[in-house]
Amino acid sequence: MFELDRSQYPQKKPDGTLDIDLSSGKYLKLWQGPQHPGITGNMAIELTVCGDEVVEGKTHVGYLHRGFEKLMERRTFMQCFPIVCRICVPEPDFNEYCYAAAVEELAGLEVPEMANWIRTLILEMGRINSYLMYLGGQAGALGLGVIGQWTTYVRDLMLDRFEELTGARIYHMFILPGGVRDRLPEGFAGRMEKALQEIESTLGDVEKVMFHNAVFKKRTVGVGVIEAGWVDSYGITGPNARAAGVAKDVRKDQPYLVYPELDFELVTGKDSDIYARADVRRRDLLLSVDLIRQILAKMPKTGEVMAKLPNVLHWKIPRGETYVRGECSRGEYGYYLVTDGSGYPRRVNVRGPSYTHSIALFERMVINANISDVAALLVSLHTYPPEIER
Amino acid sequence: MIRDVLSPFTAWKNLFREPVTIKDPLNERPGSARYRGFHQNDLDKCIGCGTCETICQNGAIDMLPVDGVPAKLGDSGLRPRIDYGRCCWCALCVDVCMTGSLTMSNEYKWIESDPDKYLYMPGVDKKHWDNAELGYRRHEERHLSPGDRVDMPELHAEERIGSFIEMVKGYDIAQAQLEADRCVSCGLCIASCPAHMAIPDYIKAVRNGDYERGVQLLYETNPFSQVCGRVCTHCCESACAARHEGDPIAIRWLKRHIIDQVPQERILQLIGKPAAPTGKKVAIVGAGPAGLTTAFDLARLGHAVTVFEAQAAGGGMTRYGIPEYRLPYDALDRDIAVITAMGVEIKYNHRVGTDISMQQLETDYDAVVLAIGLHQGRSTRIPGSDHPQVRKAVDLLRQITTGEKIDVPKSMVVIGGGNVAMDIARSMARLQMQQYGEIRVTLTALEDKAHFLADPVEVKESIEEQINILDSRGPQACVIDADGKLLGLKTWKVLSIFDEDRRFAPKYDPADEQIHEGKMIVEAIGQMADVSLLGDALTEKLEWNRGRIQIDPNGRTSEHWLWSAGDCVKGPDVINAVADGHRVATSIHCVLTQQEAKI
Amino acid sequence: MVMQALYDTLKQRFPLGELTVQRDNLAFITVEAVRLYPLLRYLRDHEGFSHLVLLTAVDWLEDGQFQLTYLLNNRAKCQDVGLRVMIPRDKPEMESIHDLWPAAATYQRELREMFGIDFPGSPRLEEEFILEGWHGIPPYRRDFDTLAYARETFRDRPGRETRDPAQHMKQQLYGDKGDV
Repeated sequence: MFELDRSQYPQKKPDGTLDIDLSSGKYLKLWQGPQHPGITGNMAIELTVCGDEVVEGKTHVGYLHRGFEKLMERRTFMQCFPIVCRICVPEPDFNEYCYAAAVEELAGLEVPEMANWIRTLILEMGRINSYLMYLGGQAGALGLGVIGQWTTYVRDLMLDRFEELTGARIYHMFILPGGVRDRLPEGFAGRMEKALQEIESTLGDVEKVMFHNAVFKKRTVGVGVIEAGWVDSYGITGPNARAAGVAKDVRKDQPYLVYPELDFELVTGKDSDIYARADVRRRDLLLSVDLIRQILAKMPKTGEVMAKLPNVLHWKIPRGETYVRGECSRGEYGYYLVTDGSGYPRRVNVRGPSYTHSIALFERMVINANISDVAALLVSLHTYPPEIER
Repeated sequence: MIRDVLSPFTAWKNLFREPVTIKDPLNERPGSARYRGFHQNDLDKCIGCGTCETICQNGAIDMLPVDGVPAKLGDSGLRPRIDYGRCCWCALCVDVCMTGSLTMSNEYKWIESDPDKYLYMPGVDKKHWDNAELGYRRHEERHLSPGDRVDMPELHAEERIGSFIEMVKGYDIAQAQLEADRCVSCGLCIASCPAHMAIPDYIKAVRNGDYERGVQLLYETNPFSQVCGRVCTHCCESACAARHEGDPIAIRWLKRHIIDQVPQERILQLIGKPAAPTGKKVAIVGAGPAGLTTAFDLARLGHAVTVFEAQAAGGGMTRYGIPEYRLPYDALDRDIAVITAMGVEIKYNHRVGTDISMQQLETDYDAVVLAIGLHQGRSTRIPGSDHPQVRKAVDLLRQITTGEKIDVPKSMVVIGGGNVAMDIARSMARLQMQQYGEIRVTLTALEDKAHFLADPVEVKESIEEQINILDSRGPQACVIDADGKLLGLKTWKVLSIFDEDRRFAPKYDPADEQIHEGKMIVEAIGQMADVSLLGDALTEKLEWNRGRIQIDPNGRTSEHWLWSAGDCVKGPDVINAVADGHRVATSIHCVLTQQEAKI
Repeated sequence: MVMQALYDTLKQRFPLGELTVQRDNLAFITVEAVRLYPLLRYLRDHEGFSHLVLLTAVDWLEDGQFQLTYLLNNRAKCQDVGLRVMIPRDKPEMESIHDLWPAAATYQRELREMFGIDFPGSPRLEEEFILEGWHGIPPYRRDFDTLAYARETFRDRPGRETRDPAQHMKQQLYGDKGDV
């Protein structure tokens, strides 16, 4: 797409760093964010451009650092439960699940089967929400505002399902250590089916308007390619890796919850550009729709939803450490939990996929990108800043 | 390629579509049935235990007094106020609520110009969602703290009825920690304990396995932990927050567990040495819980204490009234040994009034405490109750303790529905079992089963031990044949016990008459103090109140040198006697040190 | 068993510390700081542990040590190995691994800022990462008290007060009764 050999600019200094002299008049510093439509959430990217080409990019975070990991060190194991979901707004349930699973593992709690089915259901519902938000954002970054309106509408239908199941729309606080809060409400499956049909129908429209769209293709095909070789060096997971042809998905690699009982194939792509990533996510969304149908059909009708807990006001967990992961819409989400025998976690470390995607990987990918593609490129990595700074 | 140019135009079809937005979301969009909206609190159900405040990780909840909600036993009178600037609607407060009073409505809209209005006291600040039927409710079970009490290992009825071996085995460490874990440390129990023991703190000591700390906490308020750990009337458990949806914490058994875990020598070290001698002398009449608690406190403060006890051993009613299978004598001995180790001198077999007079005590000591208990049984005064085979429960229990030979009847009837009646029935049943291999004890009570005065556990265990319990039976006469031999007890059905003014005036149905066979009849209808030891002069001088010596709130009688404590002035109850002992000791210490100051 | 086998294989090449098998696909191994780099490289290149899942620290304040945890994943075998490296708290410094995994540079930048652990040679280590203009002790250390910090930095909302149920009942129900 570019005719000049842009790798000539800027030149490198003998020590390998870029020779960027801002006073030369050749370069311009440009901030995208922290308030900017082309940025995902509260973060900023500091771009150095030469003409319309980015020669260096730096990701700046810290705009919503709330110190959750530290705050949890002075909360009891149950008191941590309401705050973990706040580490990721669009898909909070992975925090609840990973935290709960880590606590259960170290405390030696057996979670009832029913709770595992409901947990899986919630995680897939959250995945759909997250992808719907992404699709709107990806299209929006390239000027297709209408897609965002459609996906927001169907996402709202899913939020309604969340509301009736969990009692809240955004921060569900439903998966707590020991199980889940309650069973499915009466008639839930039927209402869910209606929502799923609406989502499928909307996705059909999205496919026609966004994916079979000459403009969208022109802006995304061949742009923002992740080389398969980077997958390990940059810790790339989720659709970003799968679009590069690396069939990496925790749901298959280390099946958790009830995934072993569900029938599904991984969604992968091969071109690894923005278009391929968007397409992988769209198809993964349809996979989630299918998984929800499977779950609702296969799950038991009755059963306990909570394990017997000790009195949570003074719940102590023996010394130990563990790491629990799950596959969220952006990749591998995990909780590293260290306990020391007291009633409080010793250390909680949240591994969000955006951590590497939006810093190390993005800073690498943005070099030589056209400035008009930066927003689409960043969105295509599907990053959520709160999980970077926890 | 052409397709990619044309395909996006399909978006135009939406031109003909209705909007999907909700026209009037303020009215058309109620929250879902489980929605975690604004709080509701049922003020009558709420007990102000503050567990919601404890679990709130946002620090959003305050506990505050409310007009018209007085503090009473089992209810602190406080109610939660939520700072909606902090609340995150996680509903842990609802999940942990001990009574289920706190819930959430499905209302989620609240507009206010004054931010302070969002310091919101659900149930008190009236809102339109107060009675909302939809909204978040806790799952049927309270999941966040276990509701069931850890079962106490006990001897089975068959194992225990042939002997006086203690039937309650006591928790082991694992069981005790599980039970202690259930406590939410709200502290509602403290007010209901007559001695105001530091209950949540000593339960915490069990949880932490820190038994030495536990012993120290026990001795701060109660030198009779062996006794109270076994036979306390545990008013605390009836104020326990956990009782509302589950079993109350086994506070009594946990107390016993603590004292069981620490060796006697270590207990002595833990409670330390008495203060330097003050040179003051105090005499105490009666070595029961009240007298010995007074003695213990005063001895710790450095006063020289002498206790005069008519019987050969200490403990008073706890020894001579409570059967061994409930309170083994060696447990009682351990409590008393700690008290004597504090320097308290107990003169056994010294009956005041016979061996030494009250006047003498008045002259020889700076203060005298009368803690003589209730050792005289009351009589029904029904015809035939003067028959030699009609006995008083307290006398029989004392005989059993001292090991006197008792002529055990093959069949007998007990009159009374209180704990003493159960004690004598069960003790005699054991003796019958030992001697005859079968039990024939009938117990008749005025009250119906729902209003029995005895502890429900006692009733249950008595039935297990084959005691034939008959409720609503009023004793009419002891049936004696021509030879003067006792045949049994005649009773009528009780119609009512009290009249309209709640005065004791039982009404019977003479048509419903029964004769209960028994070669012995035991009256267990109450006790009174034997005040003959006072002597005429002192009896005359003292002020009285309905047959009891009149005392002020500190236990001081109308005579400046004489205090009285325990059952003889307060009615029968161990923990009350202990509390009374502390009160009197404090009062005496105050008076003695003030005298000092005057000199 | 699988994790034990891996441990035994590694043990033939590297001196290793304690092994903790947490699950049949997750184990933690304690290693000395000087052994870490070659061990990581070996695991990455020869044992298929090519994915650096995370790098983080745990502050064992009472032992005077930081624990660095390097969590590696072998996707083909579905195994995870966490390498624990204990470094002294008073001289917290560790070899950088950014040349094994470029992504590690970000973790190291964060650890430097949040725990004050130095990784000489790691790119842009000095640049502020999350915190801007922070002067106190690194805030994720155990001796940084978040509550005290919040009290110094922020004001409480006026009008907040609370009572302890037991104290309130004492005052209301039995307070001074019976005392002289």
